[in-house]
Amino acid sequence: MELKINGELKTLPEHARDPAMPLLWALRDGLDLTGTKFGCGVAACGACTVQVDGEARRSCVTPLASVAGRAITTIEGLGPDHALQRAWVAHQVPQCGYCQSGMLMAAAALLRKNRKPSDAEIDAAITNLCRCGTYPRVRAAIHAAAAQLAGAKA
Amino acid sequence: MRRRTLLLSGLTAAGALLVGVAALPPRSRLGRPGSLPPREGELGLNAWIKIEAESGDVLLAMPRSEMGQGVHTALAQLVAEELRLPLERVRLIPAGYESLYGNVAMFVGQLPLAPQHTEPGQESRLARLAQWSVAKLARELGVNATGGSSSVADAWEPLRWAAATARQQLLGAASLQWGQALAELQLEQGWVSHAIGQRAHYGELARAAAATPPGEVSLTPPEAWRLIGRPAPRRDVPAKVDGSARFGIDQRPPGLLYAAIRQAPMLGGSPGAVDAGAALRLPDVLRLVRLPPYAGSVPALAVVARNSWRAQQAAQALEVQWQGRPAGALDGERIAEQLREAARRAAAGGGLAFRSAGDAAAQLARPLAEGERLVEALYEAPYLAHATLEPMNCTAQVKDGRVTLWLPTQVPGLARALAARVAGVDESAVEVHVSYLGGGFGRRLEVDLVGQAVRVALETGGAPVQLLWSREEDFRHDFYRPAGAAFCRARLDAQGRPQALLVGSAGDAISPRWMERVLPALSSRFEAPDKTTAEGLLDHPYALAHQRIAHEATHSGVPVGFWRSVGHSHNAFFMESFVDELAHAAGRDPLDFRLQWLDAALPRHAAVLRLAAEKAGWGQALPPGVARGLALHESFGSIVAQVLELRLAPDGQPRVLRVVCALDCGLVVNPAIVERQMESAIIFGLSAALWGRIDIGPEGVVRQSGFADYPLLSLAQTPRIETHVLASTNPPSGVGEPGVPPVAPALANALFALTGERRRRLPLWG
Repeated sequence: MELKINGELKTLPEHARDPAMPLLWALRDGLDLTGTKFGCGVAACGACTVQVDGEARRSCVTPLASVAGRAITTIEGLGPDHALQRAWVAHQVPQCGYCQSGMLMAAAALLRKNRKPSDAEIDAAITNLCRCGTYPRVRAAIHAAAAQLAGAKA
Repeated sequence: MRRRTLLLSGLTAAGALLVGVAALPPRSRLGRPGSLPPREGELGLNAWIKIEAESGDVLLAMPRSEMGQGVHTALAQLVAEELRLPLERVRLIPAGYESLYGNVAMFVGQLPLAPQHTEPGQESRLARLAQWSVAKLARELGVNATGGSSSVADAWEPLRWAAATARQQLLGAASLQWGQALAELQLEQGWVSHAIGQRAHYGELARAAAATPPGEVSLTPPEAWRLIGRPAPRRDVPAKVDGSARFGIDQRPPGLLYAAIRQAPMLGGSPGAVDAGAALRLPDVLRLVRLPPYAGSVPALAVVARNSWRAQQAAQALEVQWQGRPAGALDGERIAEQLREAARRAAAGGGLAFRSAGDAAAQLARPLAEGERLVEALYEAPYLAHATLEPMNCTAQVKDGRVTLWLPTQVPGLARALAARVAGVDESAVEVHVSYLGGGFGRRLEVDLVGQAVRVALETGGAPVQLLWSREEDFRHDFYRPAGAAFCRARLDAQGRPQALLVGSAGDAISPRWMERVLPALSSRFEAPDKTTAEGLLDHPYALAHQRIAHEATHSGVPVGFWRSVGHSHNAFFMESFVDELAHAAGRDPLDFRLQWLDAALPRHAAVLRLAAEKAGWGQALPPGVARGLALHESFGSIVAQVLELRLAPDGQPRVLRVVCALDCGLVVNPAIVERQMESAIIFGLSAALWGRIDIGPEGVVRQSGFADYPLLSLAQTPRIETHVLASTNPPSGVGEPGVPPVAPALANALFALTGERRRRLPLWG
């Protein structure tokens, strides 16, 4: 079984290709793409957020069978120099950092659809949980990245 | 002497002031290069610092764990400062296991001292003696722990001395080699030079420096600091934005197997008969391992598989006959009742009086004169879970008589000791690799997972195995923040001035339970007085002629542990809610009331409170439907005041709009980190104050099992947060935890200001 991940076709090893297996575990335990995190297993926290065809998806409840042939992007494929990552560094967003891959993937999916999200739109789109409380910096960094992308377009 | 003591940390102040009585100067933690063995191309100067010969980069032994609090950056700043290096040229290497790397300040912070005794530079004789004694003991114990908001306070003197000593050795070596006077040498960006053109980088001088005595060593004076006090970027941030940062769960040693766990649904329960047939028939499932209890864990079952998902499925598929807790099922309601009774007993003259003056009981019993008031209230707080976002995990390999651990831990040395006991090997045969921690908050001061993972690894034929708990297991088998209760009584005179205060509190003692789990050799049957659930009451900053602050330490049987800000987390709610009640009973403004009542010997408290009030616009009009509450609390040596603005939605749900935070945490090493830690603590504290509760049903089962029933504040619910730091020349004090305690009372006090309703039980909603 093959998956299209970060623009490359990847063959899943034998122990990680059950069609019912959540994408999260195929990435982590099958392909050693450990940037995508396990937080709850029930799509409640968002630590496992990846993009499937550009949409944010919680990979812990996404069976492999549902993503065959679709374009999967993980944190390893976001950069290396995405405007959000630069903004994340400039605003020194992460603390423990465990939720940040998911935050970034959710934020990147938001900016794809909405080049200049309002606070309310950020509130609605970024439902990922952060136990360290990086939220104020997450918000500021998303605005900064949006502004930077808008500037680059102009 | 006097001036220098102002620069010393809480720990070394005691040592330095007592030099002559017994020698514990800061430099005793310099250590020898042998503690940090140099590898090819490296030269060791002391136990903290090596120099890489070719690049001249400094390698710093890092004993503390990075869990988002920025310790890897802040400690490197101290060293880069003294060695006049750009921050990025101080590289971190793991410290070894020697007692030299133990955390002394954390243990000193366990002393039950009121702030009147511990004001920096004005410590009482009693406090100095106690601090010195505990420091001495802690130095002997040498427990390497990251906790108690102590890392910078602990490192402040020893690390700067280590770096300054290395600097003088490098300069001395250049002076000897070039035949130039020390005073004529320049030191810049890792280069030593002389005006006539001689120039060498640290790597070129390191070999000679190692053989050169340091001579006179002095610390860089504050006016010459280039890095301390500046917002240096965190060194762990780049790896945390591209997915390359490795947490415990991300360790992938070759041939890794994966294990999941199943523990009894009830606290203290254990598995009896097990039918593992269905579980073991699942593909890629390898074996079942029975786990005895380790370091506070319950007897459990583990399943090993070729991936974590299968392991979790198989653990769920086990058919288990669970056996209840041998001493009887725990019942949260019954424990809460016992805590209320214990708090009333403590208030009625029982318990351990951590602080007393005059005769509070007699003053409170006196008949009330015209205009005098008696105020009393009972407060309660629930158990809480840590809920680190990275679920509990430990990766272990047992092979050829050696044990290797990869884990996110706050206590690597204790993990090593337990791994050695479980595997039956000498500690020297155990290697611990500390990864980044996906949150700690005290949960990773425990080593229960280490025992479990090593036990599993003994069964995998030398293959490494990663034990990962599910989120449900994490909530159901935590070492919880203890529930607590406090009964408070006070008498106000006719002018509304507090005359007498009686506080009786109760809660499970944490330290003795933790010692039993992680340092069994040192724990004793004798239960030493423990302040872990009394702190935050006994150390209040108010002036009273008559008071008795007593605590009854209980032992409910519920597994309890250290939770971000420990006893302060609920005792600040009790104390600062009660102070607010007194202010309103006296008909006074809560800010003015506190400012008048604060002990005149504690001007920093008043300054912090004034700063928060001023920045928040205390007293200025707010939009209709919005009210402010404030709270002031000292913990871990730092004083924090918060002013919170609250609105209620039409359905009664709270909306916290803004929190203004002011603090005095001594000298600030990295203001950007301090600001973020305040935000972090406020958000952490708000989750707990609004909704946080762990309920133990009558059958001993913890009712909460995930983020659906243990909600965390979301981005959309996060208020505006502003942090203001009071300038200080005192040694650094805690930052990671002190922002948590004032949030809950500030919220409760805002609710009262808004609605007139006084809520005395946490959480305030839910």
